[in-house]
Amino acid sequence: MRESHLKILQYITATGIFFLVGLHLIVSHLSSGEPTDWTSVAQRATSAGWLAAYILILLFGIYHGMHGIRGLILELSLPNRAVKIMNWTILFIGIAVFGYAVYIPIQAF
Amino acid sequence: MEAASKEKVPLPNRLGIKGWAWAGRYKIERYLYTLHRLTGFGLLAYVALHLVANGSRLWGQGSWESTMNFLSNPGFKVGEYLVMVAFIIHALNGGRLMLQHLGFTLGKPKPPVYPYVDSMRRRRPLVWVLLALITALAIYVLVEFVISGD
Amino acid sequence: MEKLTFKVQRYDPDKDKKPYTQVFTIPFKHGMTVLDGLIYIKENVDNTLSFRSSCRMGICGSCGMLINNLPMLACHTPIEELKKDTITVRSLPNFPIVRDLVADLSLLFEKHKSVKPYIIAPDMAEAEKPTAEFLQSQLQLEEFVQFAYCVKCGLCMAACPTVATDKHFLGPQPLAQACRYSADRRDGGAKQRFQQADTPHGIWLCHLAGACSEACPKGVDPALAIQLLKRAIISDDLRLLKKRVPPSVAQPQAEKKPKVAVPEFTIKRPGAKS
Repeated sequence: MRESHLKILQYITATGIFFLVGLHLIVSHLSSGEPTDWTSVAQRATSAGWLAAYILILLFGIYHGMHGIRGLILELSLPNRAVKIMNWTILFIGIAVFGYAVYIPIQAF
Repeated sequence: MEAASKEKVPLPNRLGIKGWAWAGRYKIERYLYTLHRLTGFGLLAYVALHLVANGSRLWGQGSWESTMNFLSNPGFKVGEYLVMVAFIIHALNGGRLMLQHLGFTLGKPKPPVYPYVDSMRRRRPLVWVLLALITALAIYVLVEFVISGD
Repeated sequence: MEKLTFKVQRYDPDKDKKPYTQVFTIPFKHGMTVLDGLIYIKENVDNTLSFRSSCRMGICGSCGMLINNLPMLACHTPIEELKKDTITVRSLPNFPIVRDLVADLSLLFEKHKSVKPYIIAPDMAEAEKPTAEFLQSQLQLEEFVQFAYCVKCGLCMAACPTVATDKHFLGPQPLAQACRYSADRRDGGAKQRFQQADTPHGIWLCHLAGACSEACPKGVDPALAIQLLKRAIISDDLRLLKKRVPPSVAQPQAEKKPKVAVPEFTIKRPGAKS
């Protein structure tokens, strides 16, 4: 994938995170009851809308964060082989974290 | 004679990672670059901890509630506020960066006439507005969610 | 102020393991620049001090140095503007030090060459055997002329935080020149430059710190050039870039004017034909 394509995705995920996380914070805190109360958590866990929102937040957030870290590491003048290893490692870590993170709301649903 | 004929290698002089943080006598955008990196790190660390904390849901209500009790420590509340501020800074500054990376708000190139005013300086009022917005939101979050206890 | 204190970085590769600072005190004269101070030191105090300078008027870009923690041209920096009587002068950061204040700029020139900083004519036959001049309107010229004022001094590269860690990063100067040539209507090589810039160590490692534009002594504004180039690359990716119309050429003259006769010499030279 070309670097410009990765960057376009970075911009798209940034916009997505801005709206989705903003929505997550506002709705969590404006809804009645304590947002971290078990009943609120259980109620949100059974909502398809919230599940979709969580999956999107995780997808966008993990991509955005991993790509940001990748850019940072690229600036450290590592040898080419180390850069290749780093690229694959970041990809696997991202997929693994996404897999674990998405399992939580799906399991609760 | 042999030593004199050996070509001397110039001494490396890169600033290294210190060059990311050291902003010397540069202006506000250079500091915003450093702040953007720091808030990014902070948010990434928070996301990792948030995922671990949310993972306690998998073991039922008891596990969840004991995690929430642990996290209701005042130290964590301060940390949460800092994360909120980091999110506000990273999001708003990121919005500015995205617009400017795509060539918007920077204006058009024009033949330089001394004293030179670059596009960063021409658009500095936008940065001041951004900082005012960040400050206002940080104060709002402090009052609304931390002091009033929501 | 009557006296100035110059804290100058010294480094002799034959004797020193690392750079050190030497302090000089010199008399101040109204209108003096940092370069005048260094030349005074070399002529009157220590003739082993090494630095580059040439035009002494801010056009050649030779005398780039770190002056009071900001990359500047020594000839273009009046002492009075610094508002201090202690001047710290060091070699440009992010470039290897050859000796004292002399930096090795060869990496800058290699990176500059790699972006093909010349007009790549769309019509090679016309380029090799030109039949007429290219026409360019004032508006078309203004799309890139600001970036053509670059004197390759390296101050932007010294200021850039990405160049500080990444030796493969192209840097503000080459990227700005890639934009200068890609934006020129006479050029047909934009896609080649996009390929060079759109790499892991290319344009996307610029995070708009803006230090390059701040340091530039010629008002080139490399930060603006880089963001415009990013926009062009993304527009090209998303197929939004308008197809470049080939540059128009001046129409050949419909009629050739008659040759003007050479006037007679008023002073006859001995041996000249009348």
